Amino acid sequence: MKKLLGIFGLFVAVFTVTSLINPQFVSAYNLQNLIRWTSLFGIISLGAAFVIITGGIDLSIGSVIGLVGSMMAWLLTQKGWSVGATLAMVMAVSLGIGLAHGLLITKVRLQPFVVTLCGLLLYRGMARFITDDQSQGFGNTHEGLRQLAIGRVSLSSAFAIPVPLFILLGIAVLSAVFLNLTVAGRHLLALGRNETAARFSGIRTDALKITAYVLCSGLAGVGGILFSLDLNSIQPSGLGEFYELYAIAAAVLGGCSLRGGEGTITGVIIGTAVMRVLYNAINILGIPTHLEFAIIGAVILTGVVADEMVKRVAARRRAARDRADAG
Amino acid sequence: MNVSFPLRTLLAAALLWVPLSGCKQSTESTAPAADAAGGTPKAGRKKIAYVTNGVDPFWNTATAGVRAAEKEFGVDCEVLMPPKGIGDQKRMVEGLLARGIDGIAISPIDAKNQVGLINQIAERCPVITHDSDAPDSRRLCFVGMDNYNAGRAAGRLVKEAIPNGGKVMLFVGRLEQLNAQQRRQGVIDELLSRPVPAAGTIAYDPPGKSLTAGKYTIVDTRTDNFDYARAKANAQDAMASNPDLDCMVGLFAYNAPQCLEAAREAGKLGRIKIVSFDEANAVLQGIIDGNVHGTISQQPYYYGYQSVRILKGLANGDKSVLPPGGFLEIPTVEVRKANVEKFWADLKQMQAAGK
Repeated sequence: MKKLLGIFGLFVAVFTVTSLINPQFVSAYNLQNLIRWTSLFGIISLGAAFVIITGGIDLSIGSVIGLVGSMMAWLLTQKGWSVGATLAMVMAVSLGIGLAHGLLITKVRLQPFVVTLCGLLLYRGMARFITDDQSQGFGNTHEGLRQLAIGRVSLSSAFAIPVPLFILLGIAVLSAVFLNLTVAGRHLLALGRNETAARFSGIRTDALKITAYVLCSGLAGVGGILFSLDLNSIQPSGLGEFYELYAIAAAVLGGCSLRGGEGTITGVIIGTAVMRVLYNAINILGIPTHLEFAIIGAVILTGVVADEMVKRVAARRRAARDRADAG
Repeated sequence: MNVSFPLRTLLAAALLWVPLSGCKQSTESTAPAADAAGGTPKAGRKKIAYVTNGVDPFWNTATAGVRAAEKEFGVDCEVLMPPKGIGDQKRMVEGLLARGIDGIAISPIDAKNQVGLINQIAERCPVITHDSDAPDSRRLCFVGMDNYNAGRAAGRLVKEAIPNGGKVMLFVGRLEQLNAQQRRQGVIDELLSRPVPAAGTIAYDPPGKSLTAGKYTIVDTRTDNFDYARAKANAQDAMASNPDLDCMVGLFAYNAPQCLEAAREAGKLGRIKIVSFDEANAVLQGIIDGNVHGTISQQPYYYGYQSVRILKGLANGDKSVLPPGGFLEIPTVEVRKANVEKFWADLKQMQAAGK
């Protein structure tokens, strides 16, 4: 938990400063929007975290979102499929993609970067081919299904919790239990830290890696379903573009090491929240949008540097204390 | 492109087993190499190309015009939609020139800096611009509208929607594009009751500054880099930071649909007025439902139709097809509740005819 203090501090700092400058930032309406976006991006970031924990990378997340989102709208509105069959189909596609990634990486021994980079191109192309590159949408139909993304559960007359938060929490709890309380989860962390050692210890590293890629693409698929339901206007060439970078950034901000072996579910969610709060704050404070990338980059870099400095000072003090105790 | 449904579904499900060479075919599926015109180009017919500035429903309507003109004028026209900006557009144009082409209509993404590319085309075949002009280049004419005047027309729609004045927020994909800048300035100048400037002397207000004159305040212009999720979040954030916001104006086709979604979720439909550009289905339905005040249609169908007509003539050496002054203005249409149903029916008919 100590590792999360830095990123949590950054979250609190941005949150506090923005709400002091513009109190509308903490209005119920804005908080609900923030929660919804954090939930949607949080789901795909959790998937990215599993792969990063194994020391791998998945660059195809955004294209899987695009493929699943476009396919879903296309099957439902153009092909007249039932909701159940459509959801089963798109989830099967996304899980199948993850399985293929895992097999190519572990059995064919291809680099994750190459496999998922090709995936990035392939799935985007497929999305555009299947839909003839036509924008898809639900129009005024499927309002019930859309509640998964745009629905809210009223707490009081003033505040309602967006439904995606419940989906994120469900996934997060399952993920945390898997990662922390199951043998496979602990093995996943061990594999990320030192794959050779893990294999020699009898850990089934290949099966675990495949699982991580299946989870990542599966969660990207869930994200694709929710993003398309939320936006109601899906451009096959654009939906989800670059979202893998948001997911990877959120996971790394939340304490996942790109070298593998480290990461917590809570950290990833806080990492996602930091990114979303920054985007939101820029709009709420009326900062010109063309400055947003520069500001987000600068704030995150400052936060990460400060976090690293604090850790070093703490480590130095600890070492000094240990020496004094030994002396 | 007319792959049967089971094959497409199979492809979708089994996409991991598709060899990587499939990438190329898929990513360029917007370039149907005359297949939509009925198979391979017919021998002896002139081959021309219509190059857009991106992938958007707007261009699908323009393509319908291209297809209709193809049939009417007996010419084969390839439609190319570069998905990734200038680099893609250049690659596609170079491919056309390498293969040999009798004429190109192009919508330049960066008019000033693409003069070289357009002149390169002009050395090989007749070239015209559409949608966005590059007047310094050797293009033979421009087919499009005056974006500044279209912006002023949108400003008049805002005045109709909130006659007592109020706060207005503008949304757009990118402000680097000349058409976006001119539209935005048109809306601002109209709302602030500024006089119409002489041609070529438009003064641009920098974004990020609130502008007020008389009853109207333009709070800001927010950009989203064509990310629909950002577009929606921008609309939500505008309502969050300005609870008394009165009107949202979407300068690109997809902006108003996202404003509409955001307003619906915020329970502010009808309370916040929405003014749009172009003819997205969600916007036309919104006008019928009374949730969108109106939209400015550029009639992209005629961009495609007229471009093909002119290129066909030029390919045959007929210069009389060129419009006087090198500018063929496609008039904009202001769509409101009163004329939306007829407009939509006509649009559907045009699109069907173009298939």
